[in-house]
Amino acid sequence: MRGRFRPGVFWGSGVKRVSVAVLVIAFVVFALLPQQSQFLFHTLGEPLADFVAIPVKGMATLDRTLREWWMQYIALQGLSQQNRQLRETVQQLNGEVNRLREQAYMAERLASLLEFQEDKSVRTVAARVIGRSVSNWYQGVILNRGEDDGIREQMGVITPAGVVGRIVRTSGATSIALLTIDPNVAITGMVQRTREEGMVQGTSQGLVRMKYISPLSSVKKGDAVVTSGLTGGFPRGVLIGEVSRVEESEDNLFQTAEIVPAVQFRYLDEVLIVLSPRSPDAMIPLDRASVSPGLQNPTP
Amino acid sequence: MKISVYTIFILFLFPFQATLLYSLNPFGIQPDFCLVIACLIGFRTGPVHGLIVGGCLGFIQDVFSAGMFGLNTFTKAGAGFLAGVFARNLANRAPHAAFVPIMACSVLSSTVFLLSSRMGMGLGEMLYGFSYILLPQAVLDGLVAIMANWVFGRWLVEAPSA
Repeated sequence: MRGRFRPGVFWGSGVKRVSVAVLVIAFVVFALLPQQSQFLFHTLGEPLADFVAIPVKGMATLDRTLREWWMQYIALQGLSQQNRQLRETVQQLNGEVNRLREQAYMAERLASLLEFQEDKSVRTVAARVIGRSVSNWYQGVILNRGEDDGIREQMGVITPAGVVGRIVRTSGATSIALLTIDPNVAITGMVQRTREEGMVQGTSQGLVRMKYISPLSSVKKGDAVVTSGLTGGFPRGVLIGEVSRVEESEDNLFQTAEIVPAVQFRYLDEVLIVLSPRSPDAMIPLDRASVSPGLQNPTP
Repeated sequence: MKISVYTIFILFLFPFQATLLYSLNPFGIQPDFCLVIACLIGFRTGPVHGLIVGGCLGFIQDVFSAGMFGLNTFTKAGAGFLAGVFARNLANRAPHAAFVPIMACSVLSSTVFLLSSRMGMGLGEMLYGFSYILLPQAVLDGLVAIMANWVFGRWLVEAPSA
């Protein structure tokens, strides 16, 4: 038996001691140099992230397939009832579409009068959600796009329905986005009707709150809250959610609005990562940036 | 055998939890399977094994986590080690005996996350995190540990008792 590889002996001797030593040294570095150790961990973790992303992507595909099968099975139950309800909804929506189309034509005419330039310059890249945060302390999703696709930290993540969150960590092939319902995410928002700004932040309860609204504001239940575009990452006017409750802050200096997010985070499958909220070509040169006379005194 | 089981856990547990097991979250709280397995390995095979496997599982979690890098690595390694130390002082190694030690490890590990993620957000957020996330997760982790101990116990060699 001499010279034959025995895993038990191998595990029991050198590897165990080296592993313990590495962990202890890493802990000492982590405790003494927290900032520097983040860079070290990130450098070490990046190749591992690309490697582990392979089983993550495989299992995400399996998960999606199983969910689709299940949804198809569920969909077959009570299909006729759902069909009837959908027909009624379509009729209602048709009426709504006509009304909105009329308003859109009017807005277009007014915009051309005011010489507004429509901002079509938002550059995005589509990404698929391949995994979810496994921690109860952070509400995040794993996306299948990373640094190789031009994704960087602090970029905004949206869907056609509204704001999803912000990229907080990237590797070559994947990135992690923290959702707006996480307390560690803050976005500057604006009440669409009153144009008042505030800070939109998640809570531990999985809700979203808009803080620092003026006490004189007339914000009320049902108001839409959109991104203000003042902070990086998001273009202006992307829907965050709808106000469900307004209350005075503890110090009575501001109002706080509770918001129901526009995006259903549980059923998130595809998202758009905002590469640039507006491209340099779309920026108005300084010599042309003076306020238009029509804007100084806008008439309704 | 043990190395193969550890390798499978290290490579596939996180992807499994992040995708297929994500829906398993009673009352919106999901158990930390990586913590449970690290503790279970410590509990069944000794503190050093718990420390090493916990460290590896935690590092993979850190790579895909939104929080501070290193927290998962050291909390999981510490939890695995502690579970092993607890087990050395237990006479009973039946599957249900894992409940209390692993629940205690979960409380300690979650306290680190509570402090790091909710610090400076006010007492209300801290208390909410403690009552509605930390405690329910600890109970859930303990229950999952009993099941995992029953399922995987046969592949993990028992450590000699004290």
